[in-house]
Amino acid sequence: MKALGCCMIFGGCLGMGMWYRSQMNGRLRALRSLRNILELLAGEVRYGRDTLPECCSHIVRYLPAPYDGAFRKIEDRMTENTGISFGEVFREEMDSVLKELPLKDGDRVCFLDFTRQAGFADSQMQLRAIEQGVERLDVTEERLEKENEEKSRMAVGLGAMGGLLLILVLC
Amino acid sequence: MDNSIIQLFPLQYRAFWQRTAEEQEHIQEIRLRAGRPVVLHRNGREVFLDGKGRFTNLQSDSYVMEEKVLREILEHICHYSPYAFEEEIRRGFVTVAGGHRVGVAGQAVLEADGSIRTLKNISFLNIRVSHQMKGAADGILSVMYRKGSLKNALIISPPGCGKTTLLRDLIRQISDGNAYGAGVAVGVVDERSELAGSFLGRPQNDLGMRTDVLDGCPKETGMLLLLRSMSPAVIAIDELGSDGELRALGQAAACGCRILATAHGEDRRDVERRFGLRSDFWEKMFDLCIVLGKENGKCLVRQISERGDGLW
Repeated sequence: MKALGCCMIFGGCLGMGMWYRSQMNGRLRALRSLRNILELLAGEVRYGRDTLPECCSHIVRYLPAPYDGAFRKIEDRMTENTGISFGEVFREEMDSVLKELPLKDGDRVCFLDFTRQAGFADSQMQLRAIEQGVERLDVTEERLEKENEEKSRMAVGLGAMGGLLLILVLC
Repeated sequence: MDNSIIQLFPLQYRAFWQRTAEEQEHIQEIRLRAGRPVVLHRNGREVFLDGKGRFTNLQSDSYVMEEKVLREILEHICHYSPYAFEEEIRRGFVTVAGGHRVGVAGQAVLEADGSIRTLKNISFLNIRVSHQMKGAADGILSVMYRKGSLKNALIISPPGCGKTTLLRDLIRQISDGNAYGAGVAVGVVDERSELAGSFLGRPQNDLGMRTDVLDGCPKETGMLLLLRSMSPAVIAIDELGSDGELRALGQAAACGCRILATAHGEDRRDVERRFGLRSDFWEKMFDLCIVLGKENGKCLVRQISERGDGLW
C-alpha cells in the first residue's frame, strides 16, 4: 500500500514536470502557427495584391484548427460589411482563439500589431508591417527554442526530484 | 428599397448617413471635400447635409467634412487595403459593391515619364450613386431588331442624358432574350466599370445571363481579346472615344459580330466632326442611330434614324 502511494506521488510529480514541458512546447507550436499565418498573409499581399479581408479568405484553407474557424468568422463578418474596421474584426476574432493558447501577452501583440497599421497606399509598406510581426515572432521563437531544451529537461528532472523528496518527507 | 450606399461608410458614421441612404434612389452624387460642406445632388438639385445628416438648402447649416473622417471613409471603401486599389486610384475612381463609383482627387505622384504613379493626400471624393433602370430600353427594343436579327446601333447623347443606362438595359435584354429576339452571348468591354459596375471582378449590375464582361481593360484591346476568347454574338462598348476603338469595332463587325456603342455628342453631325469621318463611314458601320436628350430635366429619345431613311 505504501509502495503504491509512493509510486502515485512520484508519478504525479513527474507528470507535473512533463505538463510544464508540454506547455512550453505548446507556446512554441502556437508561435510557429502564428508566424505561418503572417507569412501566408504576406504572400497574398505580395503576389495577389489582395485586400486584407480577401487575404484572410484565401488562406483559410491552409490553416489548422482553431485558426481556420476564426478566419472564417473574419471572412463572414467582413463580407457582411457591418462597418467595423478590419483591424477590430481581426483582433476580436483572433483574441478569442489566442486566449485559449499558451501564449504570453507580448506574443499576441506581435501577431496583432499589423492590424493597427492597416491602410497603407503602398503594398510594400503593408507587407513590411506584416513582416515586422513575422520577425518579432521569429526572435521569440528562436529564444524559446534555446531556452526550452534546458527548461524542459529541468522541469521533468525537478518533477521527478520533487516527487522523490515528497516521498522521503512523507515516509 | 436599395440603400447600399450606407455600406460605404464606417460604422461610427452610419447614423449620420442613414437619411441619405434612405433617399438613395433620388441621389445622384455625394461630394465630400476635406474642410468643405458635404454636397449632394438630389433629384438633379444641390443640397447640403446638416450636422445630423438631414437635408438642408442653407450652406450656413451645412456639415463640414473633416479630413480625418474623409480618410476613414476612403479606407473603409478600400477595405482597409488601399494598396490593393492602386490601379483604380491611379485611374481616379474606385468601383464599389452595388456598382457605385467613387471618384478620388488629391495630390498626384508622378513617374519620371510624367505619368501618374498614384494619388496621395486624397481630399476629394465624389460618390456617384449607381441606378440601374431595368426596362429603360423597352421603348426602343422594337426598332433594334429586323426579322429577329439585331441591328448595329450607335447611341449618341450629351453627358447625363442616360446613354449608359440605356445601353446597360439593352445589353441585359439582348442577353436574356426579349419579345423581338432570342437571347445571345454579349461581350462587354467595360473600361471604366460603368456598365457592369464590377467589384472584385463580379458585375454588380444585371447585364443578363449570357453576358461576359471584361472589366477595366482598354476598349481597343478588350474588343479584340473578347472576339478571340469569348466569341460573342454582340459586342457592346460605352463611350467610343478614339480612332483605334473605331477600328477595333470595325474588325468586330467584319467578324460577324453585332455592335452596340455609345458616343458623346449632341447629334450625329457632332460625332462625325469629332472623329473627322464622313457620314458614309458611319452608315456602313451602324444600321441605327439613336440620339438622346433632355427636356424639363427628363431624359428622352430625341431621334431614331435608320440606314437608308434619309436621316443618316
